[in-house]
Amino acid sequence: MSLREVLTPFTAWKHVLDAPVTIPDPIGREAAERYRGFHQNDMETCIGCGTCEAICQNGAIDMVPVEGQVTEKGDSGLRPMIDYGRCCWCALCVDVCMTGSLTMSNEYTWVDTDPDAFRFIPGLEEPWKDKEAGYRREGGRELSGTKRSHMGELAPALRGDNFSEICAGFTREEAILEADRCVECGLCVATCPAHMSIPDYIAAVRDQDYDRGLQLLYETNPFSEVCGRICTHKCETSCAALHEGDPIAIRWLKRHIIDNVPMERRLELVGGAKPANGHRVAIVGAGPGGLTAAYDLAREGCAVTVFEALAAPGGMMRYGIPEYRLPYDALDRDVAVIQAMGVEIRCNMRVGRDIALDDLKRDHDAVILAIGLQMGRGTRIPGSEGPGVEKAVDLLRRITAGEDVPVPERVVVIGGGNVAFDIARSMARLQKATHGTVGVTLTALEDRAHFLADAEELIEGAEEGVEIIDKRGPQEVMRDASGAVTGLRSWAVTSIFDDQGRFAPAYDQADERVHEGAMVIEAIGQMADVSLLGAELTEALDWNRGRIAIDAGFRTSEPWLFAVGDAVKGPDVINAVADGHRVAQSVMERVSLQEGIS
Amino acid sequence: MLSFQPDRSQYPQPGPDGRLEVDLETGKYLKLWQGPNHPGITGNMSVELTVCGDEVVEGKTHVGYLHRGFEKLMERRTFIQVFPIVCRVCVPEPDFNEYCYAAAVEELAGIEVPEMATWMRTLILEMGRFNSYMMFLGGISGSLGLGLVGQWMTYVRDLMLDRFEELTGARIYHMFILPGGVRGHLPEGFAARMEEVLQTAEKYLADVDRVMFSNSVFRLRTEGVGVIDPALFERFGVTGPNARAGGVVKDVRKDSPYLVYDQLDFIPASGKDSDIFTRVKVRRADIDNSIGLIRQILEKMPKSGPVMARLPNVLHWKIPRGETYIKGECSRGEYGYYMVTDGSGYPRRINVRGPSYTHAMALLEHLIPGTNISDVAALMVSLHTYPPEIER
Amino acid sequence: MRDLHANLKTRHALGPFEPRRANLGFVTVPAERLRGLLTELRDVHGFTHLVLLTAVDWMEDGLFQLTYLMNDRAGDRTLGVRVMLNRDEAVGEDMHDLWPTAATYQRELKEMFGIDFPGSPRVDEEFILEGWTDLPPYRRDFDSLAYSQQTYAERPGRVTHDPRAHMKSKLYPEG
Repeated sequence: MSLREVLTPFTAWKHVLDAPVTIPDPIGREAAERYRGFHQNDMETCIGCGTCEAICQNGAIDMVPVEGQVTEKGDSGLRPMIDYGRCCWCALCVDVCMTGSLTMSNEYTWVDTDPDAFRFIPGLEEPWKDKEAGYRREGGRELSGTKRSHMGELAPALRGDNFSEICAGFTREEAILEADRCVECGLCVATCPAHMSIPDYIAAVRDQDYDRGLQLLYETNPFSEVCGRICTHKCETSCAALHEGDPIAIRWLKRHIIDNVPMERRLELVGGAKPANGHRVAIVGAGPGGLTAAYDLAREGCAVTVFEALAAPGGMMRYGIPEYRLPYDALDRDVAVIQAMGVEIRCNMRVGRDIALDDLKRDHDAVILAIGLQMGRGTRIPGSEGPGVEKAVDLLRRITAGEDVPVPERVVVIGGGNVAFDIARSMARLQKATHGTVGVTLTALEDRAHFLADAEELIEGAEEGVEIIDKRGPQEVMRDASGAVTGLRSWAVTSIFDDQGRFAPAYDQADERVHEGAMVIEAIGQMADVSLLGAELTEALDWNRGRIAIDAGFRTSEPWLFAVGDAVKGPDVINAVADGHRVAQSVMERVSLQEGIS
Repeated sequence: MLSFQPDRSQYPQPGPDGRLEVDLETGKYLKLWQGPNHPGITGNMSVELTVCGDEVVEGKTHVGYLHRGFEKLMERRTFIQVFPIVCRVCVPEPDFNEYCYAAAVEELAGIEVPEMATWMRTLILEMGRFNSYMMFLGGISGSLGLGLVGQWMTYVRDLMLDRFEELTGARIYHMFILPGGVRGHLPEGFAARMEEVLQTAEKYLADVDRVMFSNSVFRLRTEGVGVIDPALFERFGVTGPNARAGGVVKDVRKDSPYLVYDQLDFIPASGKDSDIFTRVKVRRADIDNSIGLIRQILEKMPKSGPVMARLPNVLHWKIPRGETYIKGECSRGEYGYYMVTDGSGYPRRINVRGPSYTHAMALLEHLIPGTNISDVAALMVSLHTYPPEIER
Repeated sequence: MRDLHANLKTRHALGPFEPRRANLGFVTVPAERLRGLLTELRDVHGFTHLVLLTAVDWMEDGLFQLTYLMNDRAGDRTLGVRVMLNRDEAVGEDMHDLWPTAATYQRELKEMFGIDFPGSPRVDEEFILEGWTDLPPYRRDFDSLAYSQQTYAERPGRVTHDPRAHMKSKLYPEG
């Protein structure tokens, strides 16, 4: 041990005059740019899905109603409240946030004498509300999938000349991947008209429990084969996943469940109807609304007879929607389950022609009108009367029925909704099969971004050779000397609605075009054929703007008569299903009441 | 020179059940609790000493003051929810928990981590090691009454915490390494600011060398004291600097390279005397290694690239049945996570293997008898003990 | 590792080798063969380092799994040796004479899982817990959530709402 080792330590004294390294006043010291400090929430972007609550391992988050936040489609109106007595600032809630609304500021000092103050709702009044610095997740949402799972489809070249179904449906692997993306927030349930248990049946796919999935489907919808294919799937427009990625393919997952449960098993799982209760119900029209009501009533024990004017049940599901979107055997399977409940469907029985409505009234405790919108509306433009001008719904019906329809080499379709695309794409197939080429022109008032049809119709229609021309207003069906249709004259649309928002298309007359075609098909809407009511009943019923007036329970002004479906409400299958359940409930209330009286 | 040579023969020997029969009534022996409130104790632990005069006849380690049942808590959390709590097992060097847990999950779930993330992880681990050693130097000097070093090291550690803060968004529990990768890239200008810290650290460490290692009091009290016979290393599970100070150059970074250590140049510090002084000296040299490694990493790491792998939806994440063990060289030795999964969304069992588990229990209890009371603190601290990893 | 397994398999009645990585694998051994296997691994094959000893509760199968993680540093090999014990009368073999540190592990397993290791020094002494009278807490049938709910008071005033149910109550309460 040398003297050096006794003296060297004293070199520390050289620091005695150094300035202290401590910060004299640490309050107000700015934290780092990405510091995980107090939470912020952009109230407008937040949808109240509660995923932050689900991931919080401390149980620090509650979802609470907040004044000024409205519960509406795609937004629960709830907002996260964070208990800082539990929070550990791990920021998993920020990482998992479906919209990116939840972030953290770099603020980290907060003094209050009230402990309850530290249980707070970020996004209201906190001083760091708008602070830029703080933790933001890098990149996008990483903790749940953003990309929709692949699904097999027939290539345009393979489907252009036939009516084979386009979508293959998910394979199990694809379905599991897609089901995995769901965060089970349940925002979609409110948007679904039938309020199907969407997160639960998606969970059943994840768990590969198709039996449970099927039972969940049948709790709210006896048309899962149909809705699994052609539902307007508005649920997907309120899916939390759409904010930073693709919405969950809810429709295809529904189809996947039904694809994986064989018919016999479905019947076992759905189970039989209750014992007969002695009540008799007649339903006019075997569309989705009528058959759903029939299913519910039959399960309750009613004797249900459905009177269908056409040769097969299904209504627009069969005679409106083309086979390439909804194969008939799929529809048949849904109908078969309904029939298995004891529902009698009498086809080729047009009420008013083959049987009188009065007879139905006499023989049944209640009658439900579910007649749909079977008549196409016309444009009433010059030249639209006479041969060569068709209504889309008529043509679609004839195609389904197997009747011969004229297939000219060139056809013009007026309309931009799903029906317009259904007929355009059907005609394109027939043309391709007959002539080897497609010659369909589809014209619509709207611009491309505002077509009423589903986005995939535009894509797939174009793939199949349909020429889509937007912003054209039909003016005249052109005919040659013999009266044969030669085309459609149109003007460019400058606006569709007037200042008050009323439908009043305005045109640029200088921009005139003639779309060549030997047939013009009108697909601009449908109306109900109410002739079956007869003059006396028509007179007796209350009406609402040309439709039979109904109350919330789908009761007409005549106590024995109920009405449901597109004819009174619309606009799609899933709404018809939802309303079918409601009308069935009203009918049950009525017949139970009668029972009480007698 | 001053080392204490006791005559063990006059004291009772422990029975076969490990118990020492000491009759306190005789007045010959005294029970003395060192800790849990004692400046010479690192963290929440105590050593129950039985002394005779100023000589210790028996020492028993007591832990549990900070038991939070982490391993049980992990079993009740989904795989992503475990991530924020693992770091809490060890305050001074929390990142090893994050790394080992993430790597175990990735291995059992079959997730490939982007290259950038492995460099970032290595950087974080070396920064954590550096900080852990800062606390160690403060602790060992404090246990010998040299409080000044602790103050300096606290300052240097704080500068490194600033770098942690800007990189990870937090100072102590970083929660930055998560299954799949890490949470972000280096902030703009990070390397330059890190270099500043490293240079400041080197300046202070030079002072430490003068004040501590060239200090006759420090040397007298640590040289030849608390010697661990290298023959005991394997039987007592001695790893890390404790083994390296006895000439057994155990370093998981070299023995079983993980992350990017096979792409970095360094020679694990070692010594041969196996006493307190050498153990401290080895750690002092290891700090230089960490400083060098941080510089190398910042220079060699890719400048861009993803830092996260695609994960399944973490809310329903299930991992197939399996078990694995992930280890690394933390500042105290071999740190590891043994994880068992059963196909569900929750870990079946996670066991945290911290080096203190063997060092501060069986080994310390073995080393204590025969020491002087005043040496116990230095002996214990020289093993570099973090009690939470014993009791988890 | 496979060679090693082939070499030891018959003599120690080992189960199949389950590789995890090139340098990590697991194997199950009957309880009565454990000491022989561990001794041979330690003294002959270079597995001198007992990395850890812990238990896994397979409650559904009525079994405790003991895992002895053995490391051969020179060869960079780690072998997890598993022993399955009857959960109802779980008794393991004391190994503290092979590794003194095993006594600590065994003491913890006694306290946390209720697995006894007769002959292990101070195996009945409290290790982490103090005055614990409930089930050994790391057993699967000990419900830590229920315990904390019984033991600690929740701070009042916390109410949460399920988004789906809340939307139903607001938008379509009738169904």
